[in-house]
Amino acid sequence: MISALAGLPLAVGQVGEGFFKERNGSACVEHRSHLFCFEWAREHIGDYATPALQQLELVVISVLIGFAIAFALALLAHRFRYLEPPLLAGTGILFAIPSVAFFLLLLPITGRGRETAIIALSAYTLQIIYRNVMVGLHNVPESAKDAARGMGLTSRQLLWKVEVPLAVPEIVAGLRVAVVSTMAIATLAVFVHAGGLGEKIYGSGNLNFPTTIIIAGVIAIVMALLLDAVLLIGQHFATPWRRAAREATA
Amino acid sequence: MSQALLPHPLFAGFGGAFEFIFSRQTSNVTGGHKVGGIDQVLELALRQIEVSVVALALAMLVAIPIGLYLGHKGVGEALAIGLGNASRAVPELAAIALIAAVVGVGFWTLVIVLAVLGIPPILTNTFTGINQVDRPTIDAARGLGMSEFEILRKVEVPMAVPSVMGGIRTSSINIIATATIAPLAGVLTLGNFIINENVYGANGVLAGAIVVSIIALIFEFALAGLQRRLTSKGLRLQAQ
Amino acid sequence: MLMQKVKKRMGPASPGYRVGSVPAAEATEQSQGGASSVVYQGATKRYGKSAVPAVDHLDLEVAAGEICVLVGPSGCGKTTSMRMVNRMVELTEGDILIGGESVKKRDAARLRREIGYVIQQVGLFPHRTIAQNIATVPQLLGWDKDRIRARTGELLELVGLDPELAGRYPVQLSGGQQQRVGVARALAVDPPVMLMDEPFGAIDPINRERLQNEFLRLQAEIRKTVLFVTHDIDEAIKMGDRIAIMHEHGRVEQYATPAEVLMAPANEFVEDFVGADRALKRLSLMRVGDIDLWRAPNARPGQSTAEVRAELDAPDVEVPYALLVDAQDRPQGWLTQRDLAGDTVPATADAPLGPVLETGDVMRDALADLLQGESMYAPVVDHGGRIVGVLSIEIISEFLGSPEAKTDEHSAVERPVEHPVERPHD
Repeated sequence: MISALAGLPLAVGQVGEGFFKERNGSACVEHRSHLFCFEWAREHIGDYATPALQQLELVVISVLIGFAIAFALALLAHRFRYLEPPLLAGTGILFAIPSVAFFLLLLPITGRGRETAIIALSAYTLQIIYRNVMVGLHNVPESAKDAARGMGLTSRQLLWKVEVPLAVPEIVAGLRVAVVSTMAIATLAVFVHAGGLGEKIYGSGNLNFPTTIIIAGVIAIVMALLLDAVLLIGQHFATPWRRAAREATA
Repeated sequence: MSQALLPHPLFAGFGGAFEFIFSRQTSNVTGGHKVGGIDQVLELALRQIEVSVVALALAMLVAIPIGLYLGHKGVGEALAIGLGNASRAVPELAAIALIAAVVGVGFWTLVIVLAVLGIPPILTNTFTGINQVDRPTIDAARGLGMSEFEILRKVEVPMAVPSVMGGIRTSSINIIATATIAPLAGVLTLGNFIINENVYGANGVLAGAIVVSIIALIFEFALAGLQRRLTSKGLRLQAQ
Repeated sequence: MLMQKVKKRMGPASPGYRVGSVPAAEATEQSQGGASSVVYQGATKRYGKSAVPAVDHLDLEVAAGEICVLVGPSGCGKTTSMRMVNRMVELTEGDILIGGESVKKRDAARLRREIGYVIQQVGLFPHRTIAQNIATVPQLLGWDKDRIRARTGELLELVGLDPELAGRYPVQLSGGQQQRVGVARALAVDPPVMLMDEPFGAIDPINRERLQNEFLRLQAEIRKTVLFVTHDIDEAIKMGDRIAIMHEHGRVEQYATPAEVLMAPANEFVEDFVGADRALKRLSLMRVGDIDLWRAPNARPGQSTAEVRAELDAPDVEVPYALLVDAQDRPQGWLTQRDLAGDTVPATADAPLGPVLETGDVMRDALADLLQGESMYAPVVDHGGRIVGVLSIEIISEFLGSPEAKTDEHSAVERPVEHPVERPHD
């Protein structure tokens, strides 16, 4: 936790004694200045399951929706080049709006709850994925496309059999960024009452209690990294030619 | 919230928010005390802009020189890129809350946290931008007699501008977004309206969201325009 | 005339050079504004702690104003050797002298500003216009804007580019055009030495040949010392005043003129590298006028056919056909039996001339013409169109096989055209 490291030197002084003297969970909780109460954590770790799953659900659904839309838009722009700049600008605007604000802007329209969060999070992922799909398609070697056309593949076959497979690494790179970023932002879903780990941070009284903030944060980060790893492994299996290339040059 | 007649609540909601922005009014939750109005909105908006700009400048000051150096030398790729990846996973809410709980509140504490959050995208993008300038161009520059610093200044940096600006834009978005919830760390920004609904009411919440969005978009357009101005025409043609 | 203007700006006029190789006596160590000699003295490059150096004690002398081609298989050290001159590769041992001065003496960046550098991938700066690219080194040296602008115009003309291209960006130019800009950029401050690393390698064959020819034409005007690296032996033969054939670790197997390399390869490696068709390759170094041509009996209109027939029947006749020539000795056609049936030689001949060669034609092209034409013999004329002799494939192959061919030095331009003499044998 980068920002945690920033505060660490100052916190260590405060916490030094309490850290090693702590034996009793409730005593630790009373002294709210302690950085991390292991006992309390062990006792209450189960409380984090539901929020964590809620957040995971939000992220997975949002990324899937965002991917579907962004991919479709990218294919459109790939076919009709003139659409590329406006779509890039449009998705860019959605990306620039802070998610908290986006959540709340949707309030009058969709109200509080998961749907609002999902819409906002999906919008956030659009630009990342759109850009990466475009770059991936753009980087397909001209020689491969030319050979394919020469062999008699139709445009549609060219797209699905040649261009998209070769663009997979770039697309997956975008998905990984999207997944990790969305997981971090989904913590803010608490502001639209959509659940998630944010509730553990922003919930009543928790703002002064470092332990719960740390646990929530760490769980979010771990989930993000796990999803990242899953996607990486998925890419590995989806692109056997890269594996072969690596083995050939090893 | 009522699902029926969507346009009606929509306009009502936004209408109320705009009123909030421009004139002080009694909120139905505060029992007669006036809130909102253009001066309060501006005060918080300016605070948010102020803290964001300072943090962004600080982040650029730290990240760009390091990125230039590492990129030119071609070392530290793991650091530059790994840091970028790692920081993306950090939930800003947790970061702000933790700092507030452990270190305490204050303008400079906030600025430092924001700057630290903003460094990785700039560092990563500066590194890759410089590192990916192709070798023959650098070779030609060296062969013509440019010193290492001149190569960096006259060849690598101009060619890396799109990438570096992209990193700055990403950082700016992250910083402004996180600055929104700065009130949790004691610095009153527009997030104040959002967080304290019991004080400012639903109108205040929405108003805060609207103004934050406008500010974010202004920054984005300004930086995009700057990027366009700084990118050589030759590079723009090449990208087509 | 263009170069006079340039030389006036750069300094005192350099001694005029003849087209053709610079005789050793005239090639000085350092010509002002023109060219400098380059001397390798035990130059060695070792990477890391490996026992085997990439370039092993190279000793080579390149005279001022010459094109020295470093040619050899990949990995032989030719590029490394070239890059040692401008210290893109630092010497581990030994030294290199430019115009008598060690390259180590000055700061590397300053040294490179006075050496032209052209690489295969060109390396134009995409974010700068053509004019700005060319102006790179002048700007580094602090020239004022007017001087730079004038020089840029000159250079564009020199390399054969439309001056209108000056405001364009590299991405808007073709590969051939980009490389011309690369050459112009290297010549910007009129450096005494040029380094060229496979400069035309990435260009298509047609444009490559054009660029090669134009560079040779350019070199004839400006006479720089050029170190040219290639892996293509044909390019080496075409471009080089002298060729250094490298084997490995920068070891030079033979350093000689192209003709010497072709006619007297120093060892098996050179022979193999030059290729089994080196006899054919030699033909591209020779001109038609260089060898002894045969003679066909010439006949004028109105001449007595008896005389002509007598010549044809002579036992030592080289070409058994009579050539109809006009009053100025210009060939008009071949005379057939029918033509010679009457008393006098007719005004026009029955059989057409076929391809007519000039004494200045390159032998390789002449052979191609002969093979394509249908006649066995091709008349050879001088610059005025007057008949000089007759060429046939037989003549060429005889000459290539003769001992005389193995010892003669053929400097294509300087050798005077000889009149046809008796065949060496029947």
